[in-house]
Amino acid sequence: MQRLPKIVRVLAVISFTLVVVLFAALIVNSFQNAGKPLTTLTPQGPSSESIQKLLVPVTSIAAVVFVGVLGAALLISWKFRERKDSDPDEFPEQVHGKTALEIGWTILPALILAGIAVGTVMTLINLNREEPNSINVQVAGQQWWWQYKYDVNNDGNFDGPEDITTATEMVIPAGRPIQVTTTSNDVIHSFWIPGLNGKRDAVPGLRNPLKLQADEPGIFRGQCTEFCGLSHANMRMLVRAVSTSDYDAWVKNQLKDHAADPTDPTALAGKKVWQALCAQCHVIDGINDVKMKETKPPLVSGVAPDLTHLMTRGTFAGSIFNLYEPVGSDGSPLPMGDVAAAGDPGAALTGGKVNTATVNRVTLEAWLRNAPALKPMYPQGGRGMPNLNLTEEQIDQLVAFLETLN
Amino acid sequence: MALTEDRPLALPSGGSDDGYTPTGVFTRPTAETGARSWFTTVDHKKIGIMYGAAAIFFLIIGGSEALLIRMQLWAPRGTLLSANLYNQVYTMHGTTMVFLVVMPIGAAFANYLIPLQIGARDVAFPRINAFSFWAFLFGGVFINSSWLLGGGADGGWFMYAPNSGVIFSPTHGIDFWNLGLIITGIASLTGAVNLIVTVLNMRAPGMTLMRMPIFTWMALVSQFLLLFAIPVLTSAQVLLMLDRGFHANFFNVSKGANPLLWEHLFWIFGHPEVYLMILPAFGLVSDILPTFARKPIFGYPFIVFSGIAIGFMGWGVWAHHMFVSGIGPISVTTFSLTTMFIAVPTGVKILNWTATMWGGKLKFSSPMLFSIGLVTMFTIGGLSGVMHSVAPMDSQQTDTYFIVAHFHYVLFGGAFFGFMGGFYFYWPKAFGYMLNESLGKANFWLMLLGFNLTFAPMHVLGLQGMSRRIYTYDPGYGFEFWNKVATIGAFTLASSVALFVVNIFYSKVKAKNLPPVGPDPWDGRTIEWMVPSPTPAYNFDPIPTVTRVDDFWYRKYGETKDGKLVRIASTAEVAQQRTDGKGIHLPSPSYWPLVLAFGLPIAAYGLIFSLWLALVGAIIVVGAIYGWVMEPPDDPDKAHDDHGPDAHASDGGDAVVADPVDAVKEVETVG
Repeated sequence: MQRLPKIVRVLAVISFTLVVVLFAALIVNSFQNAGKPLTTLTPQGPSSESIQKLLVPVTSIAAVVFVGVLGAALLISWKFRERKDSDPDEFPEQVHGKTALEIGWTILPALILAGIAVGTVMTLINLNREEPNSINVQVAGQQWWWQYKYDVNNDGNFDGPEDITTATEMVIPAGRPIQVTTTSNDVIHSFWIPGLNGKRDAVPGLRNPLKLQADEPGIFRGQCTEFCGLSHANMRMLVRAVSTSDYDAWVKNQLKDHAADPTDPTALAGKKVWQALCAQCHVIDGINDVKMKETKPPLVSGVAPDLTHLMTRGTFAGSIFNLYEPVGSDGSPLPMGDVAAAGDPGAALTGGKVNTATVNRVTLEAWLRNAPALKPMYPQGGRGMPNLNLTEEQIDQLVAFLETLN
Repeated sequence: MALTEDRPLALPSGGSDDGYTPTGVFTRPTAETGARSWFTTVDHKKIGIMYGAAAIFFLIIGGSEALLIRMQLWAPRGTLLSANLYNQVYTMHGTTMVFLVVMPIGAAFANYLIPLQIGARDVAFPRINAFSFWAFLFGGVFINSSWLLGGGADGGWFMYAPNSGVIFSPTHGIDFWNLGLIITGIASLTGAVNLIVTVLNMRAPGMTLMRMPIFTWMALVSQFLLLFAIPVLTSAQVLLMLDRGFHANFFNVSKGANPLLWEHLFWIFGHPEVYLMILPAFGLVSDILPTFARKPIFGYPFIVFSGIAIGFMGWGVWAHHMFVSGIGPISVTTFSLTTMFIAVPTGVKILNWTATMWGGKLKFSSPMLFSIGLVTMFTIGGLSGVMHSVAPMDSQQTDTYFIVAHFHYVLFGGAFFGFMGGFYFYWPKAFGYMLNESLGKANFWLMLLGFNLTFAPMHVLGLQGMSRRIYTYDPGYGFEFWNKVATIGAFTLASSVALFVVNIFYSKVKAKNLPPVGPDPWDGRTIEWMVPSPTPAYNFDPIPTVTRVDDFWYRKYGETKDGKLVRIASTAEVAQQRTDGKGIHLPSPSYWPLVLAFGLPIAAYGLIFSLWLALVGAIIVVGAIYGWVMEPPDDPDKAHDDHGPDAHASDGGDAVVADPVDAVKEVETVG
């Protein structure tokens, strides 16, 4: 047998070692989930916790099986390798198979899988059980942001005068179950808050259920996970779990409208600009009360995010930009910042005064200047915000007006 | 028993027995060597080689797309590709790799090997075989021509409705994708019928089904999967074509459509598709492992039946791609359980391969290394598959990079490693020279490293929340490190593929100074190793009579009652010599498969740009079918033993039946 050149043997050793190191590093890293806001491995709600309870044993079994197969392959490769001094005419024992063994290793994996199956079915029952006293929220995806409707009076209708329509961020009370219904106004999206539960597709024409519940107050990130076109990557979600009292205050504020004119003259001018240009697509309760309709091009008022309480949100544009601090330090027009920290509306969340000093004006103005430059969209096809060619004065007026929308 | 080998030759053609003389245009081409012969060939070996060459060409395209993806994701907010371009690139990467690389490499091996493994001269329908190849090639070129005509498809390889509609994807990319895959679907379907008929009808005397080499078995199962899966995809694609081109409303939700219709149709195709891609590689490995372990495959019937079981069970698991689509908890539970239990036959295969190696005398040639690579790497893909058969876990993992990791471990770590093993194993049989072993081993280790560096980190990226199909990610999610590792891995992987291509040419040059490779360089087991290398056009002379599994092996070795092996004949004694092939009748080449296949993309361009052009395409297709039908029958006297234009000038095309004397002679030789 011809000996291999040394370089090939060295390559084999390096390659094998690196793969082993890689696997070890990956296993270690899968336990390091701090600073990873989308991780599925640190569950923070009952549903994601029950999934985790299944994940740990199943993954362990899989790991054991893999180590077994790999170990067997390596061991056998070593033990039964052809020796250099072996007689070329000598052959191993010609075994054609052993039926008992075959039956054994057909039944054994079937039994292991049966065990996994029992756990799976029980978890599925648990995940699909309806919770009493839950808040009903309809989540609708559209290119490339999310709309939330709260059935506040629990009458089964999401569009009543006592119900809430909002966008981009979902506010929930910690510790209370939320019954989400996902749907879509255009293509299929997928609503996913990994910390709280698995995902559920938002399919146009369908109403799919999903339970959410956060154990503690906090911010939970999400990312659309069904490819939904151009800006799929920029379609994020943000769930703000707050205390029950904050939630009640938030609901109360969301039910208010903005019929009254702002007192500041710049903001008032901004309101005029808004009515002339923005109201074709956006809605502010009290100004143009057209309720959201299903998105079907050509655009009509109500197909872009509801702006009634814009400043109660910490993020905008599909949760890719912070509306408030913290923002990037470089002052660039794209200060998306550290995603681990969402923009903080402070007191404005529950209807308090907007702290204009903390508003991320740089990005907000850049957005108004040319939105498609910051986020790929398809405004010529009626999907996404166009460049409205606003003057700098109009932008200043608009921002002043938007800052009144607490 | 001579029936099996006469069959492709004796098919009477219309009107031939009443002295019909074809006009000149219908004269069959005769070239069997030279560049031109490749365009008219109906030889399953040449067609197999062309499938392989085309697949490697598309592999380079699909691989380049993969590198673009990895460069874009090297760091957060990559700017190499725009969102629009990225969506096209990843869609075309998936489409290319599935339909234009893995499937055709499977077809390459099936075409080349099935007739050799069953002891046939060619496939049952040689012209249809040529047509399948050309239709696949033109379909693939057609899809990729979209890059020059307004951009590629941008909806992901499973092209979910309604995002695939004209409103959401107004460019023609999806039309190219859709029509191109209908064309390659026709190719797959005709190929499947052809190979199924070949296996069922054209086996050598004594080659019962349960004596067939396992590759042939697995290829047969995957052809059955193709036969039933492709029409489902084509149906869905026709609906999409009508929606996009003719304002139908199959997927228009505002007209009451349900977008899950597409998902169901796609995955009823899509899941068997996965198995039909992997089974040929399983077959290759099942033939390679015993060769280099020098003992028989462990549990031949269990390997065969587990393959068949996978083929059947593969139809009952499609909705596991839709656990979060909203199909209801009962469907989720049902498909979760069926999916789990498909792991059983797959596990049986892994354990049988391990048991085949146990107690052997293992020789680690390149094909063996790639096969062991498959056994271990595919196991990772299989186990991650079990992980997301658990529907609640899948609700976290689906559409994240965990899934991307999973299916690359299945299709690269499984199918592609098997194919690489197959390339190294069968290269001498197809081309008459061995690939260099040192480069081959370097190829393996580099590929193993690159493959794991690329795809292993994606497991963790997915579990830590990285969604698939995103053209960008932000800093702060913790995705940076493993994306860099994956990108480094992708280039390592690309260099290993480059090394393979280098090896092809390097070994060819070196082979000039080496003695010609004999028929049986690996001490093979199945009958394809008894014919000279490279395989002569006629394959076998005479057709062997098969008495058991691993027939060729037992012509060389006898087995005592206690399982000891003794050599009873040297390879030279039992291998076949290259003969002049006199008296062997092979199907004649034909222009028409090429012409017929050429009409399909013309018609497809027409459906996109102008219906007049579609009419031209349709005329070519109909004309080619006419030419095909009117073509004179194979002329047995003209085939092979005599290429001179004079010797049989008067024969025209009227000789239909093989010379009875020759036929008798062959029967005797076989007997």
